[in-house]
Amino acid sequence: MVLTRGATGRTTAPVAVHLLATAVLVALVVAALCLGEPRLSPAAVVDALRDPAHPQHVAVTEARLPRAVLGALAGLGLAVAGLLMQDALHNQVAGPELLGVSSGAAVVTAAVVVLALPVPLAALPYLALVGALVAGVLVLLAIGGSTRDPDQVVLVGAAVSAACAGLVVAIVGLGTEGNVVVLFRYLLGSLAARGWDHVAVVLPWVAVGVAVAVLLRRRVAALALGDVAATGLGVPVVRTRLTALAAAAALAAAVASVCGPVAYVALLAPHVVRRLLGSTSTARVLALSGVVGAVLLVAADLVSRLALYPVEVPVGVATTLVGVPALVWTLARSRDAR
Amino acid sequence: MRSLLLAVGAALAVAALVAAHLFVGRSALAPGDVAAALLGHAREPAHEIIVLRFRLPRVLVGLAAGALLATSGVLVQAVVRNPLAEPATTGVGSGAALAVVVSLLVAPGHPYVALAALLGALAAGGLLFLLGRRSLALTGILLGAVLGALTSFALVLDSAPMGTVLRWLVGSLNARTTGDWDAVAPWLVTVPLAWLLASRMNAWALGETTAVGLGVRRLLTPAAILGVAVLAAAAAVTAAGAVAFVGLVAPHVARMLVGADHRRLVPAAAVLGALLLSAADLVAFAVSLELPGARPDVAGVPVGAVTALIGAPLLVHLVRRSARPTLQERG
Repeated sequence: MVLTRGATGRTTAPVAVHLLATAVLVALVVAALCLGEPRLSPAAVVDALRDPAHPQHVAVTEARLPRAVLGALAGLGLAVAGLLMQDALHNQVAGPELLGVSSGAAVVTAAVVVLALPVPLAALPYLALVGALVAGVLVLLAIGGSTRDPDQVVLVGAAVSAACAGLVVAIVGLGTEGNVVVLFRYLLGSLAARGWDHVAVVLPWVAVGVAVAVLLRRRVAALALGDVAATGLGVPVVRTRLTALAAAAALAAAVASVCGPVAYVALLAPHVVRRLLGSTSTARVLALSGVVGAVLLVAADLVSRLALYPVEVPVGVATTLVGVPALVWTLARSRDAR
Repeated sequence: MRSLLLAVGAALAVAALVAAHLFVGRSALAPGDVAAALLGHAREPAHEIIVLRFRLPRVLVGLAAGALLATSGVLVQAVVRNPLAEPATTGVGSGAALAVVVSLLVAPGHPYVALAALLGALAAGGLLFLLGRRSLALTGILLGAVLGALTSFALVLDSAPMGTVLRWLVGSLNARTTGDWDAVAPWLVTVPLAWLLASRMNAWALGETTAVGLGVRRLLTPAAILGVAVLAAAAAVTAAGAVAFVGLVAPHVARMLVGADHRRLVPAAAVLGALLLSAADLVAFAVSLELPGARPDVAGVPVGAVTALIGAPLLVHLVRRSARPTLQERG
């Protein structure tokens, strides 16, 4: 099954779409600062931010703001990772959640945290990357380095992810005498109880990963045309593919090391952007994917925080419940357009 | 001759596993004590309770659930014509787990757990067929992800104890007792049922057109195969939770041993599945006992984690071996 992405036949003004997506993201961040317990008006949020003596100053600056920023950063990183994987592997359903990369990173992170290994927070992404690469390489090995049949790819990826989930459950279940909250962070992903130090950990990784993606965008676009065409265009296929996948794995691992294996943001965001822009060009989709990924994750986290207050739902539940149907719908639409 | 050897080997392996299980636990029993307890004249009443109420049911439930998972795996792989399919990645297992968790949330301690599991598995199987027009593989995985997220959500709502979480999310045989064996035993009838469908599965493997030419019903046959698969998977999930890989690996190994003819594949896979799950459980329980923990027999290492550890590398190896595309072109 060759995966062609039909053009939607619509032309949208990219500038308008970019502005709209950015506006939505800003609105969501403002909402994230206002909503919760206690609920604040936007004016009160501004006061609380500026005035250290304000009763809600700490709640806003140390809890709500870093959480919103982290959600946006993580969503951005995941979306770029998903785009790199999809175009570099020439596979519409590639993404860190279906290739075992996110859950591989989560296993290592869970082990470090639960076993209280003396690892500084800043070093966590490096270790998570090892787990991500082991899982990813396993999947790539199994499918023979080629990307023959997307069905086989996702089946193998699902199996490796299931294995990782089993390990996470064992590690958390035994190491914490059954702390279910910790379990769900590493099983589904959660932004609960994250602060500025977590933002500081993820930021450089996302910056570097996105920079690599920007530098590679034309070569990856050539890969998305298929290996033969890419070779014809003078693009080194294997090297480009490996670099792109490594960057994607690094992005996914950094996010997973702090937030857990949040699923279906990476896979969905590029598809949403392709539909919004009516274009499958890697460069164009890349420019907007980050913002859309941020929107998706910040929105999902807002829902997770408020839906059952005071109980926190793991954000991965929300991204899965929204992401999967949306993904199925976009895949179906892009097939109909063929 | 070869099949006789295999049968003898399987019988010996099952016996050895059961024996090993009877000796693993928190209290060390001498062989004489175990034998006496089995024969019903234990020297201490505690021995009888330990052996007959806890250790024996646990190994029996493990064997039964493993056989059911492997049988379900053979049927699912036959109907999808993809050797990488299995009950855990079709969403059927996740559907059963979700239905059980939700029903227990609504009515704690109700006695109809098996019925809930069955309805959940059936609903998931039906959804899979409604939605999976193009790619059953991807649909099954996505469906499983959604159902799994809902299950987690329900467990968050309920702030369930770890043992419950382990059981329904990864599969665990910890704390299985006589009642669990009584609940799962009748469902073993799905293994002979699957065997009765063997020649139809052989025909179905040749592709739909050929199968219909051989007199197989175009709709009834896949529905029957899938129906038995759902029954077996639901029973296995009720007994052991959502264990992955057994339903995938056991049929594969069985194919290597006895070939692709379903008349031999069904019984071989069932025995191998029973052995695989029960052996993994022995490892899980033995490791749990070594670890500091409040109740290793309740919330110890889940057997699903062990099968995952064994299964993942095995799967990679199997996929690489079968480099030939085994799929029919999908219509």
